[in-house]
Amino acid sequence: MKLTVNNLSFSVSDLEIIKSISLKVNEGQFVGIIGPNGCGKSTLLKNIYKVTKPSSGMIFLDDLDIVKSSPKAIAKKMGVVGQFNNTNFDFTIRDMVMMGRTPHKKMLESDSKEDEDLVNCALRKVNLKQHELKHFSYLSGGEKQRVILARALAQEPQFLILDEPTNHLDIKYQIQILSLVQSLKIGTLAALHDLSLAAMYCEYLYVIKDGQVLTHGKPEEILTPALVKEVYEVDCQIYQNEYTKNLVIAYHPNIAI
Amino acid sequence: MVNNKRTFSSILLLLIGLLFISMIVSVSIGQVNISFFDSCKILLYKFTGLNIGNVDTVIPKMISDVIWQIRIPRILLVVIVGAGLALCGSVMQASIQNPLADPYILGISSGASLGATFSIILGHKLSSFLGEFDLIICAFLGAILATFLVLVLSSVGEKMSVIKLILAGTVVNALFTALSNLFVYFAKDAEGVRSVSFWTMGSLSSAEWKDIPLIAAIVIIIGVFFLSQWRIMNAMLMGDDAAMTLGINLNVYRKIYLVISAILTAVIVSTCGIIGFVGLVIPHIVRIFTGSNHRYLVPIVILVGAIFLIWTDLLARTVISNSELPIGIVTSLFGAPVFMHMLIKKKYGFGGN
Repeated sequence: MKLTVNNLSFSVSDLEIIKSISLKVNEGQFVGIIGPNGCGKSTLLKNIYKVTKPSSGMIFLDDLDIVKSSPKAIAKKMGVVGQFNNTNFDFTIRDMVMMGRTPHKKMLESDSKEDEDLVNCALRKVNLKQHELKHFSYLSGGEKQRVILARALAQEPQFLILDEPTNHLDIKYQIQILSLVQSLKIGTLAALHDLSLAAMYCEYLYVIKDGQVLTHGKPEEILTPALVKEVYEVDCQIYQNEYTKNLVIAYHPNIAI
Repeated sequence: MVNNKRTFSSILLLLIGLLFISMIVSVSIGQVNISFFDSCKILLYKFTGLNIGNVDTVIPKMISDVIWQIRIPRILLVVIVGAGLALCGSVMQASIQNPLADPYILGISSGASLGATFSIILGHKLSSFLGEFDLIICAFLGAILATFLVLVLSSVGEKMSVIKLILAGTVVNALFTALSNLFVYFAKDAEGVRSVSFWTMGSLSSAEWKDIPLIAAIVIIIGVFFLSQWRIMNAMLMGDDAAMTLGINLNVYRKIYLVISAILTAVIVSTCGIIGFVGLVIPHIVRIFTGSNHRYLVPIVILVGAIFLIWTDLLARTVISNSELPIGIVTSLFGAPVFMHMLIKKKYGFGGN
């Protein structure tokens, strides 16, 4: 599905956090959002997945008006992998992933064969099928994040939102999660911290600073030392490496402390 | 941990069997002991009209009256109250996303106490021109007033948050307890003060057939409602943001659940006073075996709550001959060591990590 955001603004008591942002994710496209801490990336995504309500502007998933539709209608189409995966209560991995079926179920409907199959499939995709009866709260950060991704996959989403999905993960799981999402070939909007990973996986990037889109375009076109200096206030060199042919960003340690 | 339907069904059947056996045992034991089989006969005869010999001649009428008029209504009330309190406890723990919640956390008990105190101490003085002040109605109104205050306080300003709810509950609790104490302090009659303090310890001895249908209907309707809500209650434990991404707006459901379980708790408290620990401990004990999945947790909590209260009530009735301990004392005497044991063993994390 295609995501269209038009002139989205969001304020909390007089403070404008998002200032008229417009962006677009086409069918099957992997789009990244980068920007420094506190630039409004997460807030922007929260507006899109309905946790907060925009002050003004429009958000559409194909023809579905996200602001006006019910959370259930949106959850049938859109999966979210965020950083909110701490719970005070204990569930097995399988129970957690089964929760992904929630938006598709009526009140008294029990889990069907189809639901079980979808959950199995999601668990296999993240390599957790053999651990499905383990307790979620005992897992490492990387495993937890894979469970949350499996839960989002069990939702059968046609669009995915990733809110810094690879925070706290070691490099193997960072690559695993992003490669898995990329292989789904569904529209994806991801807030990412690591510029090299963003360059590697995203077809298109939006750079956000102070709640506004600073620039946007293909990673190799917009990622320049000048941009990194402007956004992050860090000197760097950017070049294509021989090994993977991807962009590498080498940061200079000189910074005003 | 219960994680498949077959284990779940067998546990459920086992508990239902245990519930019936507990009820019959409890019916048989008391100041007049009646044999287990005589109790079965009387029950069979009274409930089905089945002709199993002439019961009235085989068993003295006095005995069948003790069972039918005194013990059965009491056991039914015990079952209803135990199931209801345990259910409300698990609903509150999910709604507030806090393992420490119990049915009284929103100030319901102090509200009911205030109503009861008002009725006991001032009731007969005002009854001449305001009509009879019924204790149950006063306690119920007090409980509802406290809940209403808590909900209003916690929804003022920005959206309702769990922390605001708990704080509002604590504040209302303090206020209503102070008011009750004020009544007691200025009360002149010692008998009334004694009644108030007995009331707060809980009692099931007033059970009568005429009270059963209404409270049973309320518990059953609300019980069925919450049995159907397991998906939403599971999502609740994921927190507001994650629940939203699963299509559930927790702010709406939390309010609905709090109001419904407050009504149920208010009905229970006004009928039998404050019975502590059941609503807090039973959901935790059951969670050790079932995990947090409400699909399995809720039905088992309801049954275990009922069974637990049958046995504590039996203990309360029989531990001192010719007398009866208030049930609230027994549940806490029982519940506290169990809770301590769980704390020491540490195998169970109480939801925390």
